[in-house]
Amino acid sequence: MGDPSGEPGSSMHGVTGREQSFAFSVASPIVPTDTTAKFDLPVDTEHKAKVFKLFSFANPHMRTFHLSWISFSTCFVSTFAAAPLVPIIRENLNLTKQDIGNAGVASVSGSIFSRLVMGAVCDLLGPRYGCAFLVMLSAPTVFSMSFVADAGGFITVRFMIGFCLATFVSCQYWMSTMFNSQIIGLVNGTAAGWGNMGGGITQLLMPVVYEIIRRCGATAFTAWRLAFFVPGWLHIIMGILVLTLGQDLPDGNRSALEKKGEVAKDKFGKIMWYAVTNYRTWIFVLLYGYSMGVELSTDNVIAEYFFDRFHLKLHTAGIIAASFGMANFFARPAGGYASDIAATYFGMRGRLWALWIIQTAGGLFCVWLGRANTLVTAIVAMILFSLGAQAACGATFAIVPFVSRRALGIISGLTGAGGNFGSGLTQLIFFSTSQFTTEQGLTWMGVMIVACTLPVTLIHFPQWGSMFLPPSKDPVKGTEEHYYASEWNEQEKQKNMHQGSLRFAENSKSEGGRRVRSAATPPENTPNNV
Amino acid sequence: MAIHKILFASLLICLLIQSSHAATKERLFSDLEKSALEVTATPSRVGEGVVLAAGVDKLSITWKVSSTATKEPEFKAIKVKLCYAPASQVDRPWRKTENELFKDKSCPHKISSWSYDPAMKAGQSFDYTLERDIPTGTYFVRAYAVDTKDHEVAFGQSTNEDKTTNIFSVQAISGRHKSLDIASVCFSVFSVVALLVFFVNEKRKAKIEQSK
Repeated sequence: MGDPSGEPGSSMHGVTGREQSFAFSVASPIVPTDTTAKFDLPVDTEHKAKVFKLFSFANPHMRTFHLSWISFSTCFVSTFAAAPLVPIIRENLNLTKQDIGNAGVASVSGSIFSRLVMGAVCDLLGPRYGCAFLVMLSAPTVFSMSFVADAGGFITVRFMIGFCLATFVSCQYWMSTMFNSQIIGLVNGTAAGWGNMGGGITQLLMPVVYEIIRRCGATAFTAWRLAFFVPGWLHIIMGILVLTLGQDLPDGNRSALEKKGEVAKDKFGKIMWYAVTNYRTWIFVLLYGYSMGVELSTDNVIAEYFFDRFHLKLHTAGIIAASFGMANFFARPAGGYASDIAATYFGMRGRLWALWIIQTAGGLFCVWLGRANTLVTAIVAMILFSLGAQAACGATFAIVPFVSRRALGIISGLTGAGGNFGSGLTQLIFFSTSQFTTEQGLTWMGVMIVACTLPVTLIHFPQWGSMFLPPSKDPVKGTEEHYYASEWNEQEKQKNMHQGSLRFAENSKSEGGRRVRSAATPPENTPNNV
Repeated sequence: MAIHKILFASLLICLLIQSSHAATKERLFSDLEKSALEVTATPSRVGEGVVLAAGVDKLSITWKVSSTATKEPEFKAIKVKLCYAPASQVDRPWRKTENELFKDKSCPHKISSWSYDPAMKAGQSFDYTLERDIPTGTYFVRAYAVDTKDHEVAFGQSTNEDKTTNIFSVQAISGRHKSLDIASVCFSVFSVVALLVFFVNEKRKAKIEQSK
């Protein structure tokens, strides 16, 4: 069976390549159903749902899903709420280009740290309180936009609002308590993608709210401050909904929680060591900085860019900018899906090529966006760029689970942090100085995407190969078992702590590609019986 | 496959329309007749280091057609605008001065517009209260003369060619209101208190249940 803790990527689903990767449910013989439980969805023995029914609000599983992704999306709305209103704010606060760029960097930097802390908070208070605490305690930061009087204040407030992006962690953690690990990959991927859509929704929402407030008679410089009350109220509403409608576990709330010590808890120091010393971790940190990172940077600059360059009205620029973020609805899952298809034919080498192609294509479309001189070409280039960047995010997390079994949580966290770091860095270099116009900044960002995607060629798995090199023919070192078991030392192996890794290794053999799969064990032998 | 061809063709048509549309817009500022209009702008408060308050202070603006103006028969309307002085354009590319008139963003604030007929050669004199959405910065006043096609043909400004004389400073309104600040604090406090109330309440209920 898959890892009961349900960490991102721990799902065994789709790993053999014989099951449909993005299936919405787990069949009964693989995971037994608890028939005594009275839930709307079939559940396993821990009462986690085995089925992902998208349009249901059934308590508690699907309700948790919707509460979770909507609160994550609300945080994206408030973090990027300033971006489409910058043309008004810059006049009110007398901002320079540097100030605007620095504020953009600040908005994505805070969550690098808050996401690390959030894991601990979820362990202590549970994901429901983790989410509610963060969302409701960051509401004051959103409301404090009404006090901002200069550049320093603006940068500080955007930095503080940015902390709430840590709801990503509570969102994923909460889902893993509610959904069986066989389908957790799809559930978490959908939640992450739909949460990211908030960055697009805000580009539509804020200009419309601003326009309405202006029509009601407020001056421009007051209207934008009032407009921030809307994301602030959303924080309060979502916080209250999470507290009243949500629950920590399928059976109720945490008050009677007992931690079952089934598996010996691993040492943080050891996991950290294996995460940090695996060179692939750092390549993915860089890569995600130039797929998710450029998506966040673009969320910050694109509305102002269309407003200034093509002389559009504020809400027209907002509509165009919104379509960039909204593409997440299908682009991110599509990237994961493309990776899975490449894997059925070419195994891990296919996944690496798919990632390189998608991310490089995104970079080239970004270059085109910077060089587009007419509105129509700019919109077309922007949409293609968004598809490339967001699909690349999905394709990245289709590979990350295979980098390490023992340190998966930390590697996923580091990769996520790399996204925010890449965003801050890109905004600092290209969008905060007078050296580049915004269109030049976009062009150079595209070039940097292409350059920073090249390290994918360096990722080599001895058991599966890399983009240009075949797998190792060494009978010992060229096996999946050797790769995953090498994260455990002899003492740990004697205590049989590496059993999970060996099971994972067995199931991951399908990453060898078509030749391996055709010679694989007969269909009746499901991996979960190992 | 047919649908792909249709999409591609429509994209191509859109691009062609866009590019042809853009080609007609290249009217240049340097082609306009300089100093065809004489413009003066006197702030209601003058002196060393005086900063005018948006929404409160006024400008006394006069414009008249200069005796040296040659394109005067073409004038159909006079548009008076508030323009940024160079100091307010530094590090702010959205206020940049460009020679192509449709790209130029240095004069975004409209003051007033007058229909012109030859009897108005002596010009007009009026008071303008600085609007409440004027940003903080340094400004001068420029008047454009436009023809029947609404294309600029001549201009005059209240400063010299280097934009160094007769520049006045404006301080924008803050946009902040006491009522807004109070509402903001109230909602923030509500958020924190609501959270704590829920938390404490649930902990208490849990203790009661456990003790049962």
